[in-house]
Amino acid sequence: MRMRALGTAALATLAFAATACGNSQSASPAAPSASASAPAATTGAGSGTLVIWADPSRVKPLKPFADQFGTENGVTVEVKEISKDNQMTFLTASQQGSGPDIMIGAHDWIGNLVQNGAIDPVTLTAEQKAAFSEKAVQAVTFNGQIYGAPYAVENIALIRNTKLAPEAPATIEDMIDKGKELKAAGKVKEVLCLPVGQKGDAFHVYPLFASGGGALFGATPSGDPDPKQVLLGAPDSVKAFEKLKALGEKGDGALRTSITNENYIVNFAAGKCAYLVSGPWAISEVKKGGISYDITAVPAFKDGKPATPFVGVQSFFVASKGKNKALAQEFVANYVTNKDVAKALYEADPRPPALTAALQEVQASDPDAVKFMDAGKEGMPMPAIPEMAAIWEPFGIAETAVVKGGDAAKAAAAAQKAIDGALKN
Amino acid sequence: MKIALRHVFVLAVCAFAVFPILFVVSAAINPLGTLASTDLLPNGASLANFASLFGSDTYPFARWFFNSVFIALVASFASLLLSMFAAYAFSRMRFAGRRVGLLALLLIQMFPQFLAIVTIFMIFTRVTELYPAFGFNTVWGLMLLYLGGALGVNTWLMKGFLDTVPKELDEAATVDGATHAQIFWRVIMPLVTPILAVTAMLAFIGIMSEFLMANVFLRDPESKTLAVGMYGMIAGDRRNANFGMFAAATLLTAVPTVGVFLWLQKYIVSGLTAGAVKG
Amino acid sequence: MVVDVREAARANAPGRPRREITTAFVVSRIAVLAVAAAILLYAVPPLVAAGSWVSLGLLCAASAAIASLYLTRRFIPAKYLIPGTVFLLAFQVFPVVYTVTTAFTNFGDGHRGDKAAAITAIETGSVRQTPGSPEYGLTAALRGDELVFLLVDPATKQVGLGTAEGLTPLPGAEVGVTGKVLKAPGLTVLKAPEAAARAQEISALAVPTDGGVIKANGLSRAVEGRAALVYDAACDCVRGNGDTWTADADQGYFVNAKGEHLAQGWQVGVGFDNFARVLTDPTISGYFMGVLGWNVAFALASVFGTFALGMSVALALHNPRMRGTRVYRILLILPYAMPAFAMLLVWRDMFNRDFGLINQLLGANVDWLGEPATARLGVILVNLWLGFPYMFLVTTGALQAIPRELTEAASIDGATPWKAFRRVTLPLLLVALTPLLISSFAFNFNNFNAIALTTEGGPFPAESPQVGGTDLLITYTFRLAFGAGGAQFGFAAAISVFIFTIVAVVSAVAFRRTRKQEEVYA
Repeated sequence: MRMRALGTAALATLAFAATACGNSQSASPAAPSASASAPAATTGAGSGTLVIWADPSRVKPLKPFADQFGTENGVTVEVKEISKDNQMTFLTASQQGSGPDIMIGAHDWIGNLVQNGAIDPVTLTAEQKAAFSEKAVQAVTFNGQIYGAPYAVENIALIRNTKLAPEAPATIEDMIDKGKELKAAGKVKEVLCLPVGQKGDAFHVYPLFASGGGALFGATPSGDPDPKQVLLGAPDSVKAFEKLKALGEKGDGALRTSITNENYIVNFAAGKCAYLVSGPWAISEVKKGGISYDITAVPAFKDGKPATPFVGVQSFFVASKGKNKALAQEFVANYVTNKDVAKALYEADPRPPALTAALQEVQASDPDAVKFMDAGKEGMPMPAIPEMAAIWEPFGIAETAVVKGGDAAKAAAAAQKAIDGALKN
Repeated sequence: MKIALRHVFVLAVCAFAVFPILFVVSAAINPLGTLASTDLLPNGASLANFASLFGSDTYPFARWFFNSVFIALVASFASLLLSMFAAYAFSRMRFAGRRVGLLALLLIQMFPQFLAIVTIFMIFTRVTELYPAFGFNTVWGLMLLYLGGALGVNTWLMKGFLDTVPKELDEAATVDGATHAQIFWRVIMPLVTPILAVTAMLAFIGIMSEFLMANVFLRDPESKTLAVGMYGMIAGDRRNANFGMFAAATLLTAVPTVGVFLWLQKYIVSGLTAGAVKG
Repeated sequence: MVVDVREAARANAPGRPRREITTAFVVSRIAVLAVAAAILLYAVPPLVAAGSWVSLGLLCAASAAIASLYLTRRFIPAKYLIPGTVFLLAFQVFPVVYTVTTAFTNFGDGHRGDKAAAITAIETGSVRQTPGSPEYGLTAALRGDELVFLLVDPATKQVGLGTAEGLTPLPGAEVGVTGKVLKAPGLTVLKAPEAAARAQEISALAVPTDGGVIKANGLSRAVEGRAALVYDAACDCVRGNGDTWTADADQGYFVNAKGEHLAQGWQVGVGFDNFARVLTDPTISGYFMGVLGWNVAFALASVFGTFALGMSVALALHNPRMRGTRVYRILLILPYAMPAFAMLLVWRDMFNRDFGLINQLLGANVDWLGEPATARLGVILVNLWLGFPYMFLVTTGALQAIPRELTEAASIDGATPWKAFRRVTLPLLLVALTPLLISSFAFNFNNFNAIALTTEGGPFPAESPQVGGTDLLITYTFRLAFGAGGAQFGFAAAISVFIFTIVAVVSAVAFRRTRKQEEVYA
């Protein structure tokens, strides 16, 4: 009895296994239908689907345009959302062959994406190039090639509470004096809302650093940042760090490690400081707080160099390993460079559009966009070279050290040493 | 008197447990949603953040909620079963490679998971080509991946507990002619309900809060889990703008976990099993 | 073949103790077979279609092995272990093994792909538009079955026919207002969806010209360009722009005479270089012992802190006369029910010197996360908060398994509650929980998030920006591997192997001590 049961069972499995395996090997009549339909379906999907990866806030506004493009060209366009580590996920997925056809990201990724062979140059006509703001085109140009279609430009500016500080300060010194005066009068709690945090914030402090005469890289003959010349420890940069130290906790108290990325905008929105150094992303919160504000360029030190902010440009990239490059190029170079797409993305997330025409249309309803753009006129496109990755952290730590009252020369030297050590590898 | 002392102690620990959460509550009902205010008391009270959370086009919160609970329930149940099987073998049977196997289970967990992402992409790129139903962009692929982690910690947890169940019980059953399967299902399982409940709880929480893998698997706004979706809410420079909604979402995330706990609590603390264990 | 197996089954049968065939037995066997068969039926066709015979063979072998495992009465432990192990092997063991193999390569940013991919990227990236060439409007068309380009010069509106042979003028074509060709003699003009369906062919077509090649740029434009850099297989080098870059198989780069390399590299084996770098890099070796010491302290404090607190509360609630235990329990697990990354950010804010709740409540002005000692205290406190509910839950579960009679007996014998706890409850708890404490130690030793989301390793002394006061080995070394030089997976894998070895040794030693406990009930 028992043996029979076992035997039957064994026979049954083996039969199953044999049919399953055998079927396949001989590719008998049953199999072709499956095997024929499967590849057909996949290749069909390959040529008929365009996959775009975006971050959460851009999926919704892109959707209608993606659908429109799909209908015009008889393809399906899928907009997928990646929430975290977008650049790294894109690189890994691309490498393994499951990446998108089009990626959306910041222009300073370009250097790293290019060295990994992950994106292709985008050919824009002279006419198209002229339609963008100059800074935007400059930012997406790497090694003399354009690698992305820009759609939004962002940089930080000085946002001030016009009730507390009606006049735009001409210099940093003016701003600090006014801030201290307001603080002494008990009208504000902080002189300046500029995030520093425990690890520094190179992005936000850079205009001040630049105005103090500091620099990150030397320049190549063509004017690009030269990774072989890191200038953080140079005498001019040390002087700039000294100026930051003078603004810090042991000096004017304008820069403080307790003002962080989490609280600097909110403090301003709650009226706790009169000056905020931030970007377009701060505006919604500032409006919620009911603050009357104005936006001007970050001022420079008296007799200092211009306070150039970093400029970041959001762009569309064509993935090298996409399955559908012709469609991706069509979308990026010829379709997405239109005004309506730029405006829709602007409405979802108000950063000044890179297309001049779109910026002008936006201006009518929102003067802030142009003000931010003006504040970034002198800005420096964030260096897109991969070596920039080595700068952020040592720079931030040096910033924190001097803000806390540490020795500027020592901090700058340590940062320089750390960066040099990292770039050698 | 001693009971009173116990209450005082437990209350103190509860206060420690709850006070950071009050902070989140404050941020969630604060119209100017933020963590930056030094006060526990919000500037004003409104449910606006909750409303915008459920009304948001960009963040389909209700879907995330459902997805998370669904994935966590199914995956934690399956992984509970798998690890229970393994724990039974490790605790009750003696076979070559048992202790090495146990140690290997522990050690494999210590490898930083985010390095494995590259390999996960390698595996699932292939799987997506062959079996789209279990590939990227699917819940099922993600669940398979979660089952890979099932044996890890849970087996250790349950094996430890099974070791405290007297062996005489199953030996007696064996003498009575019960098979190993019967012992497992009829003798062991009923005895270890508290442990099953605890492990289920832990597995549920673990999957609810996992976002490293879920982030690369679930790419449609509608298919995301809470952890991934919420991470996206505060990613980059959107942190300030969305913090109120984020705080509200954080609070709501705890709801299913507390719900599952309420449901499992009676198994966890069913003191009756203690009597039975004595045998 | 079928017969063989039946005989094998029969041959195995004698000698085993006979047991009755129950319905459950039959049903379970049938279920196993059905599942195996269903998986095979699902999994086989795509493998066949893709022609992966090796995978197919593996699949069939694995299925047969598993089916036979569940059909015999032998290998009982394996029956219980296999289901979980299959998944473990596929999604944990394989990734770890693969990761370890990358430790012997330079896999990372700039070296992700193979050489062929790097060459393609170099050539594609160097294609420049031929100066002064027109920006052609493109219409795809068919000449018979062959895909051809209809190229419209925007300035002259002249239409050219582009094929793989070259560009020839095409008189008689009709150009629409948008610059697209509407009709062309002898050709079928493709509409947008038809062209999109042939997108791959369109990308592939290159029309040779004097100045380079004309290639499609999307579906509606074409550009004449030339690759400035070209790979030459004869010298295994890339030439162009008046320079030559020769492949260097040690570095995975094309290098010129000056020692400069092209940006795009490829993955090559580097032997033990990554391991050597871990050992010799002064920024690692110089700080290693200090970081390790703090790391061990952090892990131990986390484990024993959470265990002590979790167990104390569990014991306090473990009393029949306690009221309100349900509410207490819910409050106590709340920290665990919240998403950890969100709560870590909350804690970081509470520690803020000027705006944080803690200083506000204490009326202090301590820069908690700005000084090494307080920052360390802070992260341990945060980790205690995050972790004690876990210990509370498992201890609560474990306490249920301890017969109350045992503790009662102890107290009748006149032992003080403390003695009863020390002599009876704690040893029994430890039987169940020691393995957990070991795994908790291992987890906290590598608790990347607890540090990365609170202090990010800081505070950092100004003179050594690489190592912060609360840096664990993993946060500190991964900053080296992923921070400055982009992602260096190979290096990170090598680091992981080292850290893994340390934790493994500690855990294995601790694990040996559990052997005795296992036998307590045996």
